[in-house]
Amino acid sequence: MTAAINPSPGLVPDALAGQKPGSLRRDTLRNVLRQRSAIIGLAFLGFLVGVAFLAPVIATHDPNVPMIGLEQGIKVRMAPCIHLLGCPATQPEHLMGLDGNGRDVFSRVVFGAQVSLRIGILTVGFAIILGTLIGAIAGFFGGKIDNVLMRLMDVLLAFPSLLLAISIVTVLGQSLINAQLAIGIVAIPVFARVMRASVLSVREQEFVTASRALGESQAGILMRRVMPNALTPLIVQGTLGIAGAIIDVAALSFLGMGAQPPLAEWGSMIGIERNAVFAAPHLIIFPGLAIVVTCLAFNLLGDGLRDALDPRLNR
Amino acid sequence: MTRFVIRRLLLSIPVLLGVVTLVFILARIIPSDPCRAALGEKATDEICNAFNIRYGLDRPLPVQYVAYIGQVLTGDLGTSIRFNRTVADMLVERLPVTIELTIYALLFATVVGIFLGRVSAIRRNSPADTGTMIVANLGVSIPVFVLGLALAYLFAVVLKGSPIALPPSGRLTPGTDVIPLAEAWGLQGLGGFPRATLDFVSNINTFNAILTLNGSLLVDAIRHMILPALALGTIPMAIIARMTRSSLLDVLGLDYIRTARAKGVAERRVVSAHGMRNAVLPVVTVIGLSLGGLLSGAVLTETIFNLTGIGKSIVEAISGRDYIVIQGLVLVVAIIYVVVNLVVDVSYAILDPRIRLQ
Repeated sequence: MTAAINPSPGLVPDALAGQKPGSLRRDTLRNVLRQRSAIIGLAFLGFLVGVAFLAPVIATHDPNVPMIGLEQGIKVRMAPCIHLLGCPATQPEHLMGLDGNGRDVFSRVVFGAQVSLRIGILTVGFAIILGTLIGAIAGFFGGKIDNVLMRLMDVLLAFPSLLLAISIVTVLGQSLINAQLAIGIVAIPVFARVMRASVLSVREQEFVTASRALGESQAGILMRRVMPNALTPLIVQGTLGIAGAIIDVAALSFLGMGAQPPLAEWGSMIGIERNAVFAAPHLIIFPGLAIVVTCLAFNLLGDGLRDALDPRLNR
Repeated sequence: MTRFVIRRLLLSIPVLLGVVTLVFILARIIPSDPCRAALGEKATDEICNAFNIRYGLDRPLPVQYVAYIGQVLTGDLGTSIRFNRTVADMLVERLPVTIELTIYALLFATVVGIFLGRVSAIRRNSPADTGTMIVANLGVSIPVFVLGLALAYLFAVVLKGSPIALPPSGRLTPGTDVIPLAEAWGLQGLGGFPRATLDFVSNINTFNAILTLNGSLLVDAIRHMILPALALGTIPMAIIARMTRSSLLDVLGLDYIRTARAKGVAERRVVSAHGMRNAVLPVVTVIGLSLGGLLSGAVLTETIFNLTGIGKSIVEAISGRDYIVIQGLVLVVAIIYVVVNLVVDVSYAILDPRIRLQ
């Protein structure tokens, strides 16, 4: 491929003559890395993934074991104690204090990274798979199928998302898996719409007509020709969707409808201690900051990807 | 224009029917028997049979469905199983709380969002722009319940005793009297729908205070709404700021803006009269779309700030398995949402004549 392009002098402006033509993937990567927000997002995300993988090493205590009785001079909801910052050495060190059960908040926040990243990716993965399928089928086949599927999506979109998710969790029962399922179901229409719009525009292009003329099956055209070319907007929407999913599942857990104790999930950590906010704000602030940083990472990355992948937005 | 509105109205009918159906299905497949959930240990088989007959739960599902559609069409949302109150009564009492909260949140989001987006676009790449965009990025990433609790802590504990301390819970300072409008205007004799409407307006404390010229009530009501509105309005504020910025930047790069500048129109007027008029279109859509987020967020905000509105009522009804209340309230919220989207679409068509022609 590269060998075929060997521009002779004079045909190409001097400024471009020395450049190797890059592959689409490399160009895209370069574009992404040129976006400041994408880099900051990636850095945050890398940090979080690191924390999640190394949680057993980073955590100073077992996240689920109450320290009361194991250590001297502590009490529940104790404020953070950091020896370097002047906390007396006689007191055991707890970087983010203790929660209402006497568990180490720092360790719980660290292990929470595992939980939340998994929640975000699984939930959005589920929504993307179903949404893409629905959107692609609706957009590709059109007509009645399109009408029925998209009206169904309209009905799902007619509810405020959290409210519908709460109703679904009520039906399915309160657990983390069901909360993820509910948020996933609620997110389907967004992906279906994005995919459908994308497929509608790709379907009319000449290479699709060419495949049809060559006798490729409908399913083959959809899977091999249309889908890969319609994925770009989905990547952006998916990245932004992860932030939304993490917030929404955390919200359900906050209301007691998602993660159940003693799992170290940030939303449920805040929900359980929300009445203690005036006496022990650290129980809200640290898990809260963790959610903010995680969502910020995905939002920045999503914005950067959008700017990099959509040349119209470049400025 | 009329044709556009009519077509758009007709298009919402199947959506509304779908909403009613989905709400019905969800309410019926909730596990656990509504009778046992409502009556607890008192529920014997005999009592439950009578209960099921009373609420029509003994009939086949399709029959219940048709009966339900009939009820909804006549505006009958049923009676709470647990509290023996009609859902309509609860709406008159509690929907105003949610509406008041949403209005303040939307007001904050729109005014601050458009202002920040505008400053950001005009001073592109300046520290003001960077700062605004950092605020906007943080704003979309901070969950309502984290921000709500943080604000409550900041304004009720850290700033306690200072002039800007704000109450972290409830709608009014305990002991504050609110005189219902019906009483204030001597309309106690009024009944039926007009009375319900009057009570509804009366329960929106801000409106009540303005209509009865009660200054201290107005101040107290607003003070109690500031924190919840900030918590609820921050995400849409951030989205609106970003949208305004990118939309205004797009428009300011167009030829007619250059023409306006070239013929000597003052910069302020270029931005306001020429730029914003066209840049505001996508912002209107975002404002409309954010209403769904506001109604979702109201569930959390009302729970945190102890405001008995629709959101908190739905959560309570769910834990009490009061499926008639769940079904009624969720339906009303969904209908409000559909209607608001309709209004947004129509206002979009008014602002942009091209939409009508499509």
